[in-house]
Amino acid sequence: MEEYDVPSAASILASVKEQEARFERLTRALEEERRNVSLQLERGSLPSDRLVGGTTGGSNQPLAWQQMVMQEQSPSNQTSMMQEPQEVVEETVTIEEDPGTPTSRVSVVTSEDGTTRRTETKDNVTNMKVTKVVKTITRRTFQPVVLSQSKPSTPIPPSTTSETKPVTKMVKTVTTRTVRQVPMGPDGLPLPEGSSPLGSYTDSIDRRYMKNGERFITPQATSTLTRSYNNYSDSYNDTPDSQFRHYGLHDGYGDMPENYGSLSRGVNYRPYRPYMPTGGYRPENSYTLPIRKEDYGHVAQPQVPMGSSTVDLNRSQPERFQPEPYGLEDDRRSLGPDDEEAYDLEPDYSTANRRTLPGRTIREPLRNGPRVRGYEDPIEAELIDERHPYIHGMYPAPLAQPERGSMASLDRMGGRRSPSIDSIRKDPRWRDPDLPEVIAMLGHPIDPVKSNAAAYLQHLCYENDKIKKDVRQLKGIPVLVSLLDHPKAEVHRKACGALRNISYGKDHDNKVAIKSCDGIPALIRLLRKTNDMEVRELITGTLWNLSSYEPLKMVIINHGLQTMTNEVIIPHSGWEYEPNEDSKPRDAEWTTVFKNTSGCLRNVSSDGAEARRRLRECEGLVDALLHALLSAVGKKDMDNKSVENCVCIMRNLSYHVHKEIPGAEKFQDPSALQGPGSAGTQRKKKDDAGCFGGKKAKEEWFNQGRKNGEHDKNYDTLDLPKRTEPTKGFELLYQPEVVRLYLSLLTESQNYNTLEAAAGALQNLSAGQWTWSNYIRATVRKEKGLPILVELLRSDSDKVVRAVAIALRNLSIDRRNKDLIGSYAMRDLVSNLPSGQQRPAKNLEEDTVVAILNTIHEIITDSSENARSLITAQAIDKLVAINRTSQSARETKAASHVLQTVWSYKELRNGLTKDGWNKTHFQPTATGTPKGSKSCKPGYDDTTLPLMEKNQECLIFHPHFSAGNRGCSGGDMIPMDELGPDGYSTIDQRDKDSKYKSSDGSSDLQEREPLKNDTNRKHYIRSNRPTVSLVDACDVKPQPVDSWV
Amino acid sequence: MSFIPGQPVTAVVQRIEIQKLREGDNLILGFSIGGGIDQDASQNPFSEDKADKGIYVTRVSKGGPAEVAGLRIGDKIMQVNGWDMTMVTHDQARKRLTKKKEDVVRLLITRKSLEETVRHSMMQH
Repeated sequence: MEEYDVPSAASILASVKEQEARFERLTRALEEERRNVSLQLERGSLPSDRLVGGTTGGSNQPLAWQQMVMQEQSPSNQTSMMQEPQEVVEETVTIEEDPGTPTSRVSVVTSEDGTTRRTETKDNVTNMKVTKVVKTITRRTFQPVVLSQSKPSTPIPPSTTSETKPVTKMVKTVTTRTVRQVPMGPDGLPLPEGSSPLGSYTDSIDRRYMKNGERFITPQATSTLTRSYNNYSDSYNDTPDSQFRHYGLHDGYGDMPENYGSLSRGVNYRPYRPYMPTGGYRPENSYTLPIRKEDYGHVAQPQVPMGSSTVDLNRSQPERFQPEPYGLEDDRRSLGPDDEEAYDLEPDYSTANRRTLPGRTIREPLRNGPRVRGYEDPIEAELIDERHPYIHGMYPAPLAQPERGSMASLDRMGGRRSPSIDSIRKDPRWRDPDLPEVIAMLGHPIDPVKSNAAAYLQHLCYENDKIKKDVRQLKGIPVLVSLLDHPKAEVHRKACGALRNISYGKDHDNKVAIKSCDGIPALIRLLRKTNDMEVRELITGTLWNLSSYEPLKMVIINHGLQTMTNEVIIPHSGWEYEPNEDSKPRDAEWTTVFKNTSGCLRNVSSDGAEARRRLRECEGLVDALLHALLSAVGKKDMDNKSVENCVCIMRNLSYHVHKEIPGAEKFQDPSALQGPGSAGTQRKKKDDAGCFGGKKAKEEWFNQGRKNGEHDKNYDTLDLPKRTEPTKGFELLYQPEVVRLYLSLLTESQNYNTLEAAAGALQNLSAGQWTWSNYIRATVRKEKGLPILVELLRSDSDKVVRAVAIALRNLSIDRRNKDLIGSYAMRDLVSNLPSGQQRPAKNLEEDTVVAILNTIHEIITDSSENARSLITAQAIDKLVAINRTSQSARETKAASHVLQTVWSYKELRNGLTKDGWNKTHFQPTATGTPKGSKSCKPGYDDTTLPLMEKNQECLIFHPHFSAGNRGCSGGDMIPMDELGPDGYSTIDQRDKDSKYKSSDGSSDLQEREPLKNDTNRKHYIRSNRPTVSLVDACDVKPQPVDSWV
Repeated sequence: MSFIPGQPVTAVVQRIEIQKLREGDNLILGFSIGGGIDQDASQNPFSEDKADKGIYVTRVSKGGPAEVAGLRIGDKIMQVNGWDMTMVTHDQARKRLTKKKEDVVRLLITRKSLEETVRHSMMQH
């Protein structure tokens, strides 16, 4: 195990030792306390009340105890247990003083080392509640009170005097004060009546309670919480004596350095209730506990995504946390979808697992140990042997409920004891199971063992490619896959979690291994079967990971396309097959499941013509995606990942529609066959006269289309296929209605990927010669889309500029568009060009520069007016410079073509010569492909031809470079090829390389989009790309972020 | 508030209750936060210990709900409505604060002056 654990330093060992010392001390203290308690018991039947007594209403008293109990579970406790750097406040129980004395503020500050400080201050801050931290009073009674403890790191040696002193102190504190008890919020603050911040928890409580019931049916019930309940009821039914013994027992453990036991302790304080003067023990009261627990669970969760060092720490001491899986589950349920992202669930979940696991792996078997005698795992046996004597030695007193009591404590011991895994290094009797053992445990007959082993695997695999590989080589993956079909949610959930981590990363062998043992159909099966959101998230996350590997894309389509569409995409998109007329159309829900699934589909949609065909023909898919996007536009909520995924799928499916959809031949535009330039000259003249004779306002300019008779005619007489019924399915892809959608996205979205995809979709739809693309090109103009696109030429994002430039190029196939673009886009196009060796500020990539040059070429072809605009925009300087000096052959070539075309307009030569240019400037340089201006013509024809299959998504018109154009081949344009370190973000090929260099693929799906900030768009933009690298594990320093709230 | 990794931390905390201001669909607290376990803590100008990845109040808008409630720049947020804020990502903290369903947030914050006040008064006793 050593090799997998990064040893987390001597500090852990030291603290473990310290805790052990404290444990001993507490044991003694416990004895003391028990004596005390029995004394009190002898004194009367309501000793605890008298103790706290005072002038307070008696009925409130029991609450005091409860609060103290609850306080035990509050974060302060965890702090002691976690030993994480950021320890929490010792703020715990707040007691409001008499309302009349609000200015006196009493704080007792405790730290786990037993230091207690109690202070009373006069404070005029009105909103500062009079608070007293009473934590010390209950639990710390055993502890020495040192008023000015300056060295928290020094363990306080137990001494009899210091043990007794606090007790007296407690009495004193409580009796001399008039204390009014207030119900406590989870923050340990007084809770206004009926306004529980965690009010929604009732749900979860109920569920938990049920689980409690189940426990008796299924001996494997794993929840600590459940056991605590059992203890509680046990003790409640017991004689006072035994209750106190319970109390003592638990509290003895209670101060152990693990928070695991805190809950139980809390519960076991309850037995004081029967002594309430007002009697009335109400079972509901016990429900407060789960709230606490919940609270607690959450506090623990955020710890996951910590810096690498802490992760290491976690690895070695994960068992310090016992967040109950039930708690997480419940929490989500009760919080509702709105809060779903409150803590990113996936990280949370993983946390929970990571934390829980090791503790559990050991604990569970342990718990079963005494019963399931046949269990022969050496580790288990060892653990059991270890613990029994320990417990018995510690609690010689007869227990009222020996079996359960001891079981409970055993359990808690298990949880608690396991941290000493850290001391394993010293003590050979304790060790983590090694990888083969964990994998063997996956096949263990007892379900909790399976699930814990799987969860532990997930934990181990996190950010660890070596372990993933080892798991694969140890044949762990088939076992995990087989667990997906396990009926128990706990088991398949954990197995799925492990698979998700394993499937992440650049090591495709892991993905292949999952596929080879039929993991994909198994995942899909489970997706159909389960309703558990968390499991669905895990499944779809795994599928997303798998979908990044080309050879698996078709497998995913074959097995899962319709299921993912029916189970996730359609329901979450809000689209309905047959909308109920009464019901309002639903909006899309951007759930994690939807995001994952759309990401997966986005990946598989780039797998060539067959994949596109399958997706287009998948019933309901296009309809649902379109609905989701329309709802995003409607809500103006289009910067999120789900929208990005949807637009990318739409773009990919729009690629080659004119060739690939059934019956596409019918729509081929016969007029187009003669080539787009054929009618150009006549039209051009008209245009010149009609539109460009003088300066016109932009508005007017963009409305010109209407005035031009020929174009109107062309537009109106388009032989559109008659629609006899509402469009559905893939036909929706190219209906002119989508133009408005894409334009809205282009106007509103701040997400570069979304912008790129929306421009790419328009680009795809406006390519080719068929009826629909004619219509689309005209619609873009009519919807005033050209200015929107031109505006985006100024985008900071290289790929947005590129996609927009190519879209403009395709749009200019429409003569009217060409004229408009030539007049109004030229300046922005030219400004994106580098001037010689000096790149512009944007430093666009070669692909983008080439795309812009090709667009310019397209625009000036057959339009001397546009060529004139080009000259006016002072492009010749730049073009000549590129032609002469560019390092890129492709740029040189493209610039050369533009220059040749310009020179071919004889009417312009005069002016050019006046500007000092001569023929040689417009001729190809030696390195180019010199053929003179005529060579443009064949190239030009090429541009109108549909491009090769190899250009996965975008139909990109590159006259001469289409085959070799990196811009449209392979990974660059594939939307979702690999998962970025932030989990799911799309990264470009180029980013990918560098990223892996820096982070070495170290991050799994734990921490995602940490900086996304939707309250501030600028933040969003900024974090949009950087998030990719904002992972704790890498060296990259995150930018400091501020969020207005 | 300094701490030694692996050791518990002691802090004096103050409770602050902020009533969110409703402006259209938005609920406004009127302060901004920085920090979080996913952030570079060394750039936090407010923390004493530069390894402290806690959530800090970085700005408080004038006259806003947060200022009214007594929140100050540089306060470290320990809890929000009972949720721990010392071990959360920046975004988690933000989300926890900006729950649409909650009109009120209860913060536990700590600040240096609080500690000093307490220390001072302790000396007197």
